[in-house]
Amino acid sequence: MHLTSPEALKRLKSQLVRQRKENKSVITVCAGTGCVACGCAAVSAAFREALKENHLEEKVEIKTTGCHGFCERGPLVVMRPEGIFYQRVKPADAKQIVEKTIKQGKVIEKLLYRDPQTKQLLTYEKDIPFYNKQERLIFGMNGHMDPTSIQDYITLGGYQALGRVLVSVHPDEVIEEVKKSGLRGRGGGGFSTGRKWASCRQAEGEPKYIICNADEGDPGAFMDRSLLEGNPHAVVEGMIIGAYAIGSHDGYVYVRNEYPLAVKNLNIALAAAREYGLLGADILGSGFSFDITVSRGGGAFVCGESTALMASLEGKIGEPRAKYIHTVECGLWEKPSTLNNVETWANVPTIIEKGADWYRKIGTENSKGTKVFALTGKVNNTGLVEVPMGIPLREIIFDIGGGILDGRAFKAVQTGGPSGGCLPESALNLPVDFDTLTEAGSMMGSGGLIVMDDRTCMVDVAKYFIHFLLEESCGKCVPCREGLRQLHEMLEEISRGEGGVGTLDGIERLCSVMEQGSLCALGRSAPNPVMSTLRYFRDEYLAHLEAHRCPAGVCKALINYSVIEENCTGCVVCKRACPAEAITGEKNQVHKINSEICTRCGICLAVCKFDAILVE
Amino acid sequence: MTLPRAPLQQILTKYPPKESSLIMVLQDVQDAYRHLPLELLVEVAKALEVPKAKVIAVATFYKAFSLEPKGEVEIRVCRGTACHVRGGLLIMDEFKRLLGIEEGETTSDGKYTLEAVNCVGTCAMAPVVVVNDTYYGSMTVNKLNRILRATKSSKTADAAREETE
Amino acid sequence: MQLTIDKRSVVARKGEYLLEVAQRNGIEIPALCHHPAVEPWGGCRLCMVEITHPDWKGWTGLVTACLYPVQDGLIVSTDTKKVHQVRAGVLDLLLARCPGSSLIQNLARQYGIEETSFTPRKAPDLCILCGLCIRICEKIGASAISSIGRGVEKLVSVPYETVATAACVGCLSCANICPTGAIAFSESEHCRTIWSRNFELVRCEECKAVIGTPEQLEHFARRSGLDRSYFTKCDSCRNREAAARFVRVTF
Repeated sequence: MHLTSPEALKRLKSQLVRQRKENKSVITVCAGTGCVACGCAAVSAAFREALKENHLEEKVEIKTTGCHGFCERGPLVVMRPEGIFYQRVKPADAKQIVEKTIKQGKVIEKLLYRDPQTKQLLTYEKDIPFYNKQERLIFGMNGHMDPTSIQDYITLGGYQALGRVLVSVHPDEVIEEVKKSGLRGRGGGGFSTGRKWASCRQAEGEPKYIICNADEGDPGAFMDRSLLEGNPHAVVEGMIIGAYAIGSHDGYVYVRNEYPLAVKNLNIALAAAREYGLLGADILGSGFSFDITVSRGGGAFVCGESTALMASLEGKIGEPRAKYIHTVECGLWEKPSTLNNVETWANVPTIIEKGADWYRKIGTENSKGTKVFALTGKVNNTGLVEVPMGIPLREIIFDIGGGILDGRAFKAVQTGGPSGGCLPESALNLPVDFDTLTEAGSMMGSGGLIVMDDRTCMVDVAKYFIHFLLEESCGKCVPCREGLRQLHEMLEEISRGEGGVGTLDGIERLCSVMEQGSLCALGRSAPNPVMSTLRYFRDEYLAHLEAHRCPAGVCKALINYSVIEENCTGCVVCKRACPAEAITGEKNQVHKINSEICTRCGICLAVCKFDAILVE
Repeated sequence: MTLPRAPLQQILTKYPPKESSLIMVLQDVQDAYRHLPLELLVEVAKALEVPKAKVIAVATFYKAFSLEPKGEVEIRVCRGTACHVRGGLLIMDEFKRLLGIEEGETTSDGKYTLEAVNCVGTCAMAPVVVVNDTYYGSMTVNKLNRILRATKSSKTADAAREETE
Repeated sequence: MQLTIDKRSVVARKGEYLLEVAQRNGIEIPALCHHPAVEPWGGCRLCMVEITHPDWKGWTGLVTACLYPVQDGLIVSTDTKKVHQVRAGVLDLLLARCPGSSLIQNLARQYGIEETSFTPRKAPDLCILCGLCIRICEKIGASAISSIGRGVEKLVSVPYETVATAACVGCLSCANICPTGAIAFSESEHCRTIWSRNFELVRCEECKAVIGTPEQLEHFARRSGLDRSYFTKCDSCRNREAAARFVRVTF
């Protein structure tokens, strides 16, 4: 099917909507990477089998969708149109769901979600606190469509914004609208998207390039992956609108090779868009041409930095360069280039469709719209949450996230990935937006929120991030390359309880050199994880240095494992599991750990079912 | 030992012969040969008209590439932040012990390669292990032996996962 | 256009970078990864200067002079406290990387550092990873050396060191441009050794001075389009001959 005008697109939509109404029930099975990891493919297959057995294949549709967000509870199944929400569904449950829910309209209690706070069973997706506090502008479509079906996207109103723009809106007006919406870059920088586009449009030089940064390297962030997997057309549509506004005919998506499903679904989407006349030459008969090439990244965190990403697209090593001349003027192959992240592009169709005035109503004074966060770590409900900017961290972690795992105490939340920082309890009431997080010593980054409890050591967390960056630094500039090496060395010392209080002054001096002297954002923000933990958890550093203690019981050199005699049942599980053979004791007798031999690997703690292992 | 050239020739026809194709070509070569053999890199350099030195720079800069052959079974332990705070290090340590190799190494029989990987983006199921293309979530040290057993028999991903649960 | 560097008014052309303008005016800014023969790179971070502008409402910034494009009215300070701190920090780090480099020792001393405050690298060499060798090799057209790996593990080498197909022509450009003398080479009567490879030596037909390796001369002939026979004499003998010809023609 090749659409040759926006009217043809509108007609196709009406036709699809009519067809869909005639359709009956839909079983939506989440097939994001998270649910795939829980075996959702087998669940879909079991449904197909069960429908066949009951001769319902014609009447009931199975839709494998993109990520619904509530990954913790996967595989997720939602029965539409009712919206009945089943969680942790096993292939064996499919038969019962078809027989009971589909045929008799009965709800299966054991598959429902129980609110951990009120202990109530909840039947409908909309009633679940994880969902009902969210505002899903960007992610809303995910649970309702098959990402490999362009028809699903069109049915839900997809590509209508593009159609309207191409025939009736001047590129300058598109840019004005995006500027007015207040949209800021979701990749972490927070730069005004509209202003970026305007500079690129005005820049001299041809051709101009459009780039989508899908090199989501921040550990703990996976919203871009889920968007590309679950709703690739929204990203593609955003890029086409951007290309039209800027005057570009060549686009690139630079996507992590670690995201095979995202690459696959994106390629399917691009092929379909070309087939429908929405991408390629003479889009929708408007005379405007634009196409997109997918480039798979080679695995380098630094390539999330725009100039390194461009170098990588050119086939070079991912070394950043100075940005005194901006990439909107001199970017890919030294031509004007606009680079935005996946989530930013996905916002564009909504802004154009509903208007900047509508969009501006969501969010705070200087941060408009919603932000998708990846809520992970020691929190009950892990997954993707999309909330309006300005919502307090506490609401995200405690209301949507359902509080801390195992009822333990909240200690910190890490935001912004390796360039961000750790915020303590006192920061939980801060409204989440670009500026407040930066003021608090962290940053929005791409939106990872990693919750930590009292058993997380902040020195260890800082060391973790510095080690991560040490391995990911490209090595071009001295402060980053050599600074990270030294910083890691110093943190290693602290975690062994070595070094004096002077070490902390040394760390602060070094951090300042790295911040001011490094070439790119990776090096300049590398000290953040250390500086933010020093700012809020200095006592914990001092405990390591002065008292030679790791209060959270993490740093191996400073802890001891022992058996809590009252709890030990003498089951020999730990004894068998101990790789160092450091545990002695006969069956049914209290065991003992020889701390001379013990390597502090933690396996005994992991295997003990009776809480009989003490770490201190 | 000379390597079969057919896969390489096929890969080279897929991309325009220019520098910007280099990373994609290397990725496909890595997939096809499980490493980047030096003799093939010379041919890639010639085909794309890129200096050999630059090919080597790229091949050693990016994590996806390896100059040494990787094992049949690639075990990748996620070291994302969520996995770290949920005990990812213990998983790595235990794999090292079970396989008798260090991170980044391959067992002498060429069966297993053990690697740490930066966030695979399934943080909600932390800690995560990816074995070839199969994701295993909510890992604990006592499940690892079963994962290894599953790789020995030719079980499907789902069956293998069931077994670890 | 006009700008001010250390309170001195200087003239610059559009497209120039601060460092070249400063150097032309005799204002010293230390730099390790910069050389006029190759494109500026911004890796050593030693040429940091502080800039501001009357229109910037008091905002100041630290930038690398080698890559910052000149701008009319720019006010540049090359020796402020901030600049000093960053440069000292960078040199302190470099001294930990290459404690044996006399160049780094001397520079560090100028910033008050006698000994590094950091942990010196184990088994240090003299390479500061300034990338000059790679860039000059690329410029000359051999592209025989490259960085290998990344980050702290990065090093500079000739790939396929042992393979006879290496692109190195033995021209010594890399060794000559290296600021710390990290690239070792040796020369005997008939042989030059660099990057673990031996090259024959070609000598000037007239004075017998070394003019290069056969590979190098071949490469230069190919690059310049000149006949290989042009490269049989050393530069000074060729100049002398040309001068003699010039004298014959004019007088």
